[in-house]
Amino acid sequence: MMELPATRAGHIGRALSATAILLFLAMPIVIILVTSFGADGIGTFPPKEYSTHWYEQMAAPGGNWATSIALSSLVAALTTVFSLILGATAATALARGRLPLHTAVYGLVLAPLLIPQVVIALGLFLFFEPAGMLGSPLAIALGHTVLAAPIAILIMISTLRGIDERLEDAAASMGASRMTIARRITFPLATPGLIAAAVFSFITSFDEFFIAQFMSTPDTRTLPVLVFNALQFDVDPTVTAVSAVLIALAVLALALVALVRKLGGHRGGQNVLPVEPLT
Amino acid sequence: MAGTALAPTKVRVKTSAMPGHRSRIALVNAVPVTVFLLVLFVYPIIGVLSLSLEGDTGGFTLHWYADALSGVNLSVLLSTLRISAETAVLSLLVGFVLAHAIARMRPVFAALAMLIVVVPHFISALVRTYGWIIMLGEHGLINALATSVHAPGAPYSLLYNEIGVVIGTTSVMLPYTVLVLQGVMRGVDGRLLAAAAGFGASRFTIFRRIYLPLVAPGIGTAGLLSFILCLGYYITPALMGGNKQTVVAALIDQQVMKQDQWNSAAAFGVILLLLTFAGLGVLGLAKLRRKKAHARRSSS
Repeated sequence: MMELPATRAGHIGRALSATAILLFLAMPIVIILVTSFGADGIGTFPPKEYSTHWYEQMAAPGGNWATSIALSSLVAALTTVFSLILGATAATALARGRLPLHTAVYGLVLAPLLIPQVVIALGLFLFFEPAGMLGSPLAIALGHTVLAAPIAILIMISTLRGIDERLEDAAASMGASRMTIARRITFPLATPGLIAAAVFSFITSFDEFFIAQFMSTPDTRTLPVLVFNALQFDVDPTVTAVSAVLIALAVLALALVALVRKLGGHRGGQNVLPVEPLT
Repeated sequence: MAGTALAPTKVRVKTSAMPGHRSRIALVNAVPVTVFLLVLFVYPIIGVLSLSLEGDTGGFTLHWYADALSGVNLSVLLSTLRISAETAVLSLLVGFVLAHAIARMRPVFAALAMLIVVVPHFISALVRTYGWIIMLGEHGLINALATSVHAPGAPYSLLYNEIGVVIGTTSVMLPYTVLVLQGVMRGVDGRLLAAAAGFGASRFTIFRRIYLPLVAPGIGTAGLLSFILCLGYYITPALMGGNKQTVVAALIDQQVMKQDQWNSAAAFGVILLLLTFAGLGVLGLAKLRRKKAHARRSSS
């Protein structure tokens, strides 16, 4: 690209401002990671002494934290299964077929990502409350799927579009059945996308707060609900360790997706923020 | 989409697939998600709408809306709009500076910078907010730094007021603004800027008359998007704000969880929904106008 020659002042100014902003973004996360190993909890930064006390507290069996981690994992696993099923079918329809009402279906799929989550949560609360299903892991997972499925669908659409359709056409011209094509050609090529969709569905559910908050009961609270309550009402330093675990989980998930994409030879950006359809 | 841009132009070979057959298969595949979202997304929202119009003893009423738009409730609505607007402006400014810098970085640094922007998006907003609470507190890192260099007025109160809330929400919206702005900045043809410079335009003139108009659509989209997303957001205001920073979403939560005021909560939900639709409508209109202008230009 042809550009204006950079002036030294402009160059330094840009570098400095970008560094300051990036530091500002990264600092809260670094601070949590360091503080979680501090012996005095939410005391001074950096901590004077280090220990893994808060991690032991978090993992203590039978405690609030361990229970809610188990619940969140169950809900996230269910959500992942649901959104993969919905994602695979919907992406096939939207990316491959000549779908009548294409725009309407696509709009419906995008809508949950743009509508205020608190409204979705309120609607789901009113929906599940009469059925006495508040607090049920299945109901929370169904609610989370409303948010996770669109993300899975967007990822899978971009995966399917990245697969050369001529490969499928070639197989078809040599007499392969639709099932064989899906199993032997489309599925292997789409695996990195499927894994990415699964990972993002899982963390979307694991981190989701609004729906879980509205559908929680005193006995069934997912991890984010418990974290929110701990931050708002009682300051329990264990929350720092929990936060650090959530950070590690997100970073691991992203690393896994990047690795799978690299192994799958996938290039180019990923479509995980609903930004692209809007611009 | 980046993946398709790289692929060679596709020559569609229709073999076994008849067009009618294809659209039938697509239709069948579209059924699960459509049914799912109609039952668990559209229907519940219609439920919210009808509840907001229902009186205590049944029957139609606008009472809940009148309630929501008066007194304390109105001031909560106004502060929600104010916080969203402040966040949109701040995340635009910061996002612009950052995206502009990233666009001119060497690829390695640009990738690293994007990583720092995007990775936090996948970390729970609760966790990031908690990080800000530790960082902005009276004895937090920022105030410790400010005090140690004897900055005038230190320590500052950055928490449990609007400054804290806007800092927090801005960091949540920033990935969106940076990604949108980066998209338009990448599309700017550097030759136009160079041509203007060749005609003797000053840097400031080039920026104002050429660069800014070219990226303006992205600025509009990014600003509106963060405004819309901020409207229904309440983790940060609830944890980092004081009484004056109660937002509509927090009020909805309170009314459902503590006061059993479902109708009133529903009315607030519908108001949020309408505001969001208004924002999306503006986005859609702007997109349509750009398309039309583009079509006119390329046809003439």
